[in-house]
Amino acid sequence: MSEPAVDVSGLDNTWDDPTQRAPLILGGHDLASVTDAIAGIVERPQPPKAWWIAFSIASLGTITLFAMVAYLLWVGIGVWGVMIPVGWGFAIVNFVFWVGIGHAGTLISAILFLLRQKWRTSINRFAEAMTIFAVVCAGLFPAIHVGRAWFAYWLFPIPNQMRMWPNFRSPLLWDVFAVSTYATVSLLFWYMGMIPDLATLRDRARTKLRQIVYGVLALGWRASNRHWHRFEMAYLLLAALATPLVLSVHSVVSFDFAVAILPGWHSTLFPPYFVAGAIFSGFAMVLTVIIPARQYFGLKEVITIRHLENMAKILLATGLMVAISYATEFFMAWYSGNPFESFALLNRALGPYAWAFAIMITCNVIVPQVFWFRSMRRNLWVLWIGSILVNVGMWFERFVIVVSSLSRDFLPSSWGYYKPTAVDLLTLAGSFGLFFTLFLLFLRFLPMVGIAEVKSVMPQAHLDLGEHAGQGDYHGEISYQHVYPYVEKEEDDS
Amino acid sequence: MIRDGSPNRFLFPKWTNLLRPGIVIAAVGGLVYVTVIVTFGFSPKTINVGYKPQQPVPFSHRLHAGELGMDCRYCHNTVERTARAAIPPTQTCMNCHASVRTKSEKLTPVFQSYATGMPVEWVRVHDLPDYVYFNHSIHVDRGVPCVACHGRIDTMDEVRQVQPLSMGWCLDCHRAPEKYLRPPALVTKMDWQPDGDQMALGRQLRKTYHINPSTDCITCHR
Amino acid sequence: MSSMSQTTSGPRYWRSLDDLAQTPEFQEMVGREFPGEIWESIPPATRRQFLKVMGASIALAGLTACRWPAEEIVPFAHRPKGSDPGVPKQYATVMELGGAAQGLLVTSYDGRPIKVEGNPNHPDSLGAASAFAQAAILGIYDPDRSRSLVHRQQGQEFAKTWADFKAFAAEHFATYQKRRGRGLAVLAEPSSSPTLARLRARLLEAFPEAVWAEHTPCANTSEPEGVARLFGRRLRPVLHLDRARVVACFAADPIYDHPSALRHARGYAQARRPEAGEQMMRLYAAEPTYSLTGGIADERVAVAPSALPALILALVRELTSVHGLSLDGVDAATLSRAVPPAGSERFVRLLARDLAANRGRALLVAGAGAAAEVHVLVQALNAALGCVGTTVDYIADPDAESPAPESIAGLTRSLRAGQVSTLIILGGNPVYDAPADLGLAKLLDGVPTSIHLSGYKDETSRRCTWHVPAAHFLEAWGDARSWDGTLSVAQPLIEPLYDGRSAIELVATILGDDLANGYDLVRATMRGMAPAGAGFEQLWHDSLNNGVVAETASEPVRTSPRPAAVGAAIAAAAAPPAQAGQTGLELQLVPDRKVYDGRFANSGWLQELPDPITKVTWDNALLLSVADAGRLGVKTDDLVRVEAAGAHVELPAYVLPGQADGVATVSLGYGREAAGVVGDSVGANTYRLRTTAAPHVVMGARLTPTGRQHKLACTQDHHAIDAVGFEARVHRLPELVRETTLDSYLADPEVIQHEAHHAPLFSLWKERTYEGDQWGMAIDLNSCIGCNACVIACQAENNIPVVGREQVINGREMQWIRVDRYFRGEPETASMSFQPVPCMQCEDAPCEEVCPVAATQHTADGLNAMVYNRCVGTRYCSNNCPYKVRRFNFFNYHEHVSGVQKMMYNPDVTVRSRGVMEKCTYCIQRIEEARITAKKEGRPIRNGEIVTACQQTCPSQAIVFGNLNDSESEVAKLRENNRAYAMLAELNVRPRTHYLARLRNPGGPAAAENKETA
Repeated sequence: MSEPAVDVSGLDNTWDDPTQRAPLILGGHDLASVTDAIAGIVERPQPPKAWWIAFSIASLGTITLFAMVAYLLWVGIGVWGVMIPVGWGFAIVNFVFWVGIGHAGTLISAILFLLRQKWRTSINRFAEAMTIFAVVCAGLFPAIHVGRAWFAYWLFPIPNQMRMWPNFRSPLLWDVFAVSTYATVSLLFWYMGMIPDLATLRDRARTKLRQIVYGVLALGWRASNRHWHRFEMAYLLLAALATPLVLSVHSVVSFDFAVAILPGWHSTLFPPYFVAGAIFSGFAMVLTVIIPARQYFGLKEVITIRHLENMAKILLATGLMVAISYATEFFMAWYSGNPFESFALLNRALGPYAWAFAIMITCNVIVPQVFWFRSMRRNLWVLWIGSILVNVGMWFERFVIVVSSLSRDFLPSSWGYYKPTAVDLLTLAGSFGLFFTLFLLFLRFLPMVGIAEVKSVMPQAHLDLGEHAGQGDYHGEISYQHVYPYVEKEEDDS
Repeated sequence: MIRDGSPNRFLFPKWTNLLRPGIVIAAVGGLVYVTVIVTFGFSPKTINVGYKPQQPVPFSHRLHAGELGMDCRYCHNTVERTARAAIPPTQTCMNCHASVRTKSEKLTPVFQSYATGMPVEWVRVHDLPDYVYFNHSIHVDRGVPCVACHGRIDTMDEVRQVQPLSMGWCLDCHRAPEKYLRPPALVTKMDWQPDGDQMALGRQLRKTYHINPSTDCITCHR
Repeated sequence: MSSMSQTTSGPRYWRSLDDLAQTPEFQEMVGREFPGEIWESIPPATRRQFLKVMGASIALAGLTACRWPAEEIVPFAHRPKGSDPGVPKQYATVMELGGAAQGLLVTSYDGRPIKVEGNPNHPDSLGAASAFAQAAILGIYDPDRSRSLVHRQQGQEFAKTWADFKAFAAEHFATYQKRRGRGLAVLAEPSSSPTLARLRARLLEAFPEAVWAEHTPCANTSEPEGVARLFGRRLRPVLHLDRARVVACFAADPIYDHPSALRHARGYAQARRPEAGEQMMRLYAAEPTYSLTGGIADERVAVAPSALPALILALVRELTSVHGLSLDGVDAATLSRAVPPAGSERFVRLLARDLAANRGRALLVAGAGAAAEVHVLVQALNAALGCVGTTVDYIADPDAESPAPESIAGLTRSLRAGQVSTLIILGGNPVYDAPADLGLAKLLDGVPTSIHLSGYKDETSRRCTWHVPAAHFLEAWGDARSWDGTLSVAQPLIEPLYDGRSAIELVATILGDDLANGYDLVRATMRGMAPAGAGFEQLWHDSLNNGVVAETASEPVRTSPRPAAVGAAIAAAAAPPAQAGQTGLELQLVPDRKVYDGRFANSGWLQELPDPITKVTWDNALLLSVADAGRLGVKTDDLVRVEAAGAHVELPAYVLPGQADGVATVSLGYGREAAGVVGDSVGANTYRLRTTAAPHVVMGARLTPTGRQHKLACTQDHHAIDAVGFEARVHRLPELVRETTLDSYLADPEVIQHEAHHAPLFSLWKERTYEGDQWGMAIDLNSCIGCNACVIACQAENNIPVVGREQVINGREMQWIRVDRYFRGEPETASMSFQPVPCMQCEDAPCEEVCPVAATQHTADGLNAMVYNRCVGTRYCSNNCPYKVRRFNFFNYHEHVSGVQKMMYNPDVTVRSRGVMEKCTYCIQRIEEARITAKKEGRPIRNGEIVTACQQTCPSQAIVFGNLNDSESEVAKLRENNRAYAMLAELNVRPRTHYLARLRNPGGPAAAENKETA
């Protein structure tokens, strides 16, 4: 993060002059050079030193995670801080947190795609990858947080000699379906979108191994008209399919709490509240990872300030939604006249966990307000640190919801105070390790920006539009002859 | 025009087309295979039925219960009173074997036990999980025949398990006991057959004895 | 390996275990997972193993078939007549504590005792059993018990056998025979056993110059002394709370710390039933610190021990001058100077008024802490108020005829003088619990031969030349008298596991009896006492069967107080109290409510039992008043250095509302060094602060904060409470734990129903209708005394594990039923409320909705069943439980339970594995048992046929269980009672357990306001 934030000369595409549509790709890239820029990263014999450092730290985290899980399974849930009354602790907090992170990907890929948001093309690959890895982290926790993990498969409706079905009334069971569906669709979406780029990598590959590996992954993509036609259609369908999931997954996750009778959980507000929060944290995480990435892999022209600024705006918007939700919670508590409910909220703000509440408010409500200012939106440092703080805040939001509500419910005699153990903390840290390990591997071996899609928003993609170049009304179709490298090659030859 | 592209592009060679059906078959077949293995391979039917451990004394139920026609309750005399159909004490064996087969090699463990007071260590054949609380007396009392769970003991030299004793199997009867019920007096009759239709008899017995077995979890698990 | 055999009479029990004890098989069995293979039963111990195996095999599903290891069935070679394998039986016996017997029924399962309950036939049990008695089950299987005789020479230990000891004793005591027993001394625990008395007489015959001393640290010595002074003879007051209209306790805890506590608790409850239509008893308590009696008192005042005489004087004065009570021997002059201690004026005025108004129906009681003159005056007032014969009887002290034993102080004098060459210590642990100033430990080293009979190689054993293992009372024949003199025979449930002998057997051995066999000894005694000749076998049989020997209760004696004694007492009381060091506090040393005098220190159940008042486990805390704590600047958990009687101890402070200012209270019995794995170095040894002169109250104790902390493991208020929570608690309490005053109840019987109002309740789905047997429970808060008996009963019945101090601090205690304790009112004058909370068995149970694997489900008879083997441990159910009555196995808490201890498990209840949720299900095993029996007999389940463990043992019968659909059942009736309410009814979870509100009966206006404090 060495670059002085203000100096974006020649890279500034953030003006709002309606007569001049701002280009989304800068640095006078042509179709070929974009390919080189992005594919080049993967083809480099050696990643930058920063990558190695990051990777060794991350993989250390991963090892810690697996060590902690092994220890947990060997000794028992008691190694965590959970107790009665606080039966859920870090594990569930982390689960909700990571699922939330997982939202930006699908949102960007699907919803922004359907909304024809051109600028998504530079960041959707990132976001989708992030989604997959976040869901991987999320999926881990429900599995290990049960007391007898080896029986966790009883949650699945498998016919068995006991003639027992799971309890379909339980939100935990809904989770199983919601999250697994979401994971599947996101994975498909991500992989399918990558196929043309994998083909590009295959064709540019110099070593046999790369050729075969990318070749297999590319599923024999030859970019024929039919290929493109099918690709577009499938992509559109998946987008349509994924869109409701964006809303459904976190709604279902929120049911884990909303369906319970616990004051502070039992609220109809939760589904929208959780979805907004999820998108909020998702975008924050995209920023957190994308800013260094574009820095170190020289993608400033592809992932431009404008992209970042747009995301900052979304942060601001969703941040405000979250803020409203907080306010509404308190209002409902007061308005309902339910003493338990109002105490739960009062206790949340002023009780033993007031500190967590304070962190949550600061990070989620106050911090995003800086993005009202254009200069701040364009200041990479502010953007980056802001996004990290939002992630912190969102983690604490889940902590506050889960722990402070549980720690003081109906009978004062059974109130308690939850303290995480070292294992809890290391597991959390480890989950970040796992996330970043996967992510760094992705940066190293897969195209971190959708090459084909980026090209589609470049002026060159609209040669036929003459002087209107760059102003074309892109509708997401990518016509191969403009995009596919060998077309140019042939043209060069002739 | 795409067909000949860069020299080093890797496309699946023609022969890979042959793999396609193979892949499909492997995927589908594998799925089916695993399902079948898990469903049948691991089911108590497969694992437990036919379990026939070696006993310290080659006691033959065929001889005693079958040929000699001894009633089950002569040895398993607590079956009507208590949860367990207790394995008889050595004393019971000696009631006869004090005078019968007093020289038999096979009976040495019994004679020893009787002399030393140390028990004969039989191996449990019908071994329910320890969190299952099965009560013999109530089943016998309601007219569930021994044979329903233990099979034709009177034809076995060495006792073996003939029923899966799985939860599903228990529920099967708890949900429709009429399939097995008979007049309580006849529960130990191994070869008894209803003159008429078992189902009719069963339903009639259910009515007379108010037999409606519970399928609540706590009926067997506490 | 084992067989049962039938003794000519009495219980059937193992014959072979003590032979086994030496065999390698046994040793192996002890370590093994399946001790149960020895018997025909499959003990739950294997269940855990099974779940493990199953878990593992599931984990590797496919690699290995899921067939668990083969199991053996080991029938008897000769099955005893009338014993069916796997059918539990109950036998009557008694437990002696503090010189009085408590009647018990012990459940034996295939020859091993697994549960202790009260004996309904026994006057001091009436079917209830104290926590101490119930925990005996854990005691008998304690692996730390001493397993062999030890002879110590030149600091070296040599394991010996009984044969060795017999040989040694024969020639050793022969020498004393010649010397008429000079130099021989016996130190015994006070006992009511006629057999021991008989042997003692024989011993003193054989060794006329031998000394027989008695010692127990927590005996109430001042009462006998006071009574003796007043009546001029050794008498014992027998209290009848049930007949009293007014009861006044002075530093006394008759419902908990008294040999007849269980009977008193029952009497208290009977006298408090508003439904009975009689005038409800009013309970007064004046005490330095909260006792259970204080906790349930209608009028309570906190007074320092030193102020107690003044209080009594003021009371006497009020009664004589204002209410014209005539009390012979009263010196008006002294009396006129009497003024009640500050703050107790109202108390004295009201009490005097009520006593005067209820002559013949009043009762005054003083405790061990009160001085002898207080006892004199208390009994004098009882007599003057005409209560003798109604609320109090005096019986002749059963062992009055035998010469009074030497005190331990006297014994140490002769030890110091070197007059004792052989000291026999029959039980007890004097090195640990004798007054510190005696320096017994040192003196003991000087004794050439010292023989200690003890269940453990404890502090005393380690200083004696001989240690002889004592048999547990469930392993030995014996006899004992209850407080009212009723004789019982103690019969063993099992042969000694570790080759122990009882006290009577040891004495007999010393006397050179060939057959030093408890059975014969006790029979001999009985024969001696039985109506001559015929029918003895019948008497013997009946006594064993009923647990009491018919018509042996002592007859009340006619007696009258001596005026002179009264005068003397008044003079003594009027004398200015031995002045407390101005700076110092009065340090009150009391027996612990859990480990008593320290003898139960190695019992995990008792250590983890929350103290009824403080809810502290695994520690003895220094109780301070709010004001004193403020002055010293200490908070709960702060370590305080206590200096008194030239010694000092560091103790964690606990700020207790309602504690008298200027008084610090701490319990004895902790800080053991040789108790065993469980009890060692738990808490601090406060015997060090104890002197012969001041056994109960040490004046001028100096307290200094150390600045360090020691976290107390409390099961309630785990952490300091903040303003927000505090406010909420104040507002919620009146609805959760409902109570009102008797007057307002009589004025408006529906008053309880109006304490909470909520919107009409609608259910989202169609309510199911419940036919047939529908189980429900009612808990009467007006009877509950918070004694914890139910908690231990539940723990024993349901194989509930002990989790240890750390886990309790982490909020992971496992008891299924807990007794919540709340304070109301201003910290100084706080009143207390108890509320037992088991699972409510909600009809619309929130836990059932959320369990993803349907491991907790509703049954046809309305129970909220918990299926352990189905539970995967998401803990969602606990989160969603408004009463937080679910408990989770965070670890495998049974992992380190030794094979011997596993013999204690109740085979009818699954032992829960790691990662499984558990909770109360109304003792489902008992319900199922009754249902099957009823079915077989072709009849409905009888009203009252099923009794849950907690209900069975509740001394005050506060817990009632039964069929809600049976209009005849008591529980159904109580549901209709206008005191009945459902906790958190507004949630519409429809709990099956209902509460009956408590009625306070304050003596006058300005009584407990419904405010609550930490």
